Amino acid sequence: MLFNSFEFFIFLPIVFVLYWFVLNKNLSIQNILLLVASYVFYGWWDVRFLSLIMLSTILDYYVGLKIHNTEEPKKRKHWLWLSMGFNLGLLCFFKYFNFFIDSWITAFNSVGIEMDPFALSIILPVGISFYTFQTMSYSLDISKRRLEPTKDFVAFATFVAFFPQLVAGPIERASNLLPQFLKRRKFDYYLAADGLRQMLWGLFKKIIIADNCAPYVNDIFANYGSQSSGTLILGVIVFAFQIYADFSGYTDIAIGTARLFGFDFKRNFNFPYFSRNISEFWKKWHISLSSWLNDYLFTPLAIEFRNYKKHGIFTALFLTFLISGLWHGAGWTFIIWGGLHGLYYIPVIYSKKRFTSISTNKKTSKKEEYSLSDLPKIILTFLMVCLTYIFFRAASVADAFGYIKIIFTEIPLWPSSVPYKSLFFIAVVMVTEWFQRGKEHGLQFNEDSKVPVYLRWTIYILLLLTILVFSGQQQEFIYFQF
Amino acid sequence: MNNYITEFETLFKDVLENEDIVLTNETTATEIDEWDSINHIYLVVEIEKHFKIKFSSSEILQWQNVGEMIDSVKAKKED
Repeated sequence: MLFNSFEFFIFLPIVFVLYWFVLNKNLSIQNILLLVASYVFYGWWDVRFLSLIMLSTILDYYVGLKIHNTEEPKKRKHWLWLSMGFNLGLLCFFKYFNFFIDSWITAFNSVGIEMDPFALSIILPVGISFYTFQTMSYSLDISKRRLEPTKDFVAFATFVAFFPQLVAGPIERASNLLPQFLKRRKFDYYLAADGLRQMLWGLFKKIIIADNCAPYVNDIFANYGSQSSGTLILGVIVFAFQIYADFSGYTDIAIGTARLFGFDFKRNFNFPYFSRNISEFWKKWHISLSSWLNDYLFTPLAIEFRNYKKHGIFTALFLTFLISGLWHGAGWTFIIWGGLHGLYYIPVIYSKKRFTSISTNKKTSKKEEYSLSDLPKIILTFLMVCLTYIFFRAASVADAFGYIKIIFTEIPLWPSSVPYKSLFFIAVVMVTEWFQRGKEHGLQFNEDSKVPVYLRWTIYILLLLTILVFSGQQQEFIYFQF
Repeated sequence: MNNYITEFETLFKDVLENEDIVLTNETTATEIDEWDSINHIYLVVEIEKHFKIKFSSSEILQWQNVGEMIDSVKAKKED
């Protein structure tokens, strides 16, 4: 079921009413409702793959208890390896099998050994990269003694499958989300209303910007060879806003939906395109993934390599980015995308100024406040990110290099077609978010906000009307494919 | 214990380039802006050098706050 679909529009109020008005007396029954609703939400898309989520849930629930109840380090490790092996095995089979076979055959062919290509027709189960990461973090945290396993199976299963974040995150940690399933949720009018506003903002970004930009960008990337340099530059810039609107829009809907049910997700985007350097960008973009990679991949690697000082840290960081690329998709384009981001860190690590990491879960401090005088740095960072997007979006590595070659070898002329309508809405969103940059989302009003009610409702109605009038053709969320 | 805290504080101020840092046993990385994942590695290296000890990787990964870091150092020094 898609957030931007008619089914969801019916599904959500039904679950909401049952949750708060019918089954509100009993916590376990509320959790069962959420679990059933989550399985319906996922099963709507494909019932067969529900079994994978259930398997992963049962295994990690059991492994968590086993690790906790064993003191012997060797046995603890064996249980952890079982969880990692199973989850990564699922990922490798469904996501990477054909990629590895393909790369293998190409490698053999390139040294003169002829091999016939073959590929299994494997469908990628939606959300697999997200929920396997979520369940793995549970077992990892228990093995590092940072978390106590739960004995409430339903709460754990709902934590894994909770529908607002099941298919494309945020990748929640058990330490934040699981306790919320174990205590009574109270209906809070301000939180619920704020959740609705965040959903509206997310829908607006998704339907008005992402869906309208998609055809324009698709056309440019499909026929880049016959486009001018100027058009290609605009194409990748529009793509940058498309993917931001798509993914942060999705996240806003997810966080807003969770708030309607009294749950608080961690922040996943913090206005990333206002970042002044690359390390700031990675603290603000897809925070739940970068902090996952930071805690479970970068930090252990960097600790292992710590005797090599800066070289060790750079190696750990570069490897983390390569794997982040591979997480996004089974293709060399994604690996190069990750590698480029890793290379961007060379000046950060080797210049002996402040070292900043790929991610932390910190709240924005006063020091981090940025102003218009930072604009040159903001634009430079944005353009660096755009360059990597060419690889992210291109169909193949050769296409990406072809695209870049035209950009840098021809004189950029004014683009042949400009999506003025989309650019206008992008400007509306970016200007709004600039003024709202201290808040959690573009449409948040403080509880004691002075904005009068009539003005707020005018904004809501304007946004809704715009969605009705200017909606692009419905597109799937980009991150569903990862 | 107090001695360790003062020594830690000096190291933290030095590595994180912030003179205002005040540590307690309960201090965690979220409370100090500069204490991020890259600086954490530098802190570990400096602590090992300063106290002439070597931690195991799993030990480092289990730390939750400054107090637990100090406990690790103490356990090694007083062995």
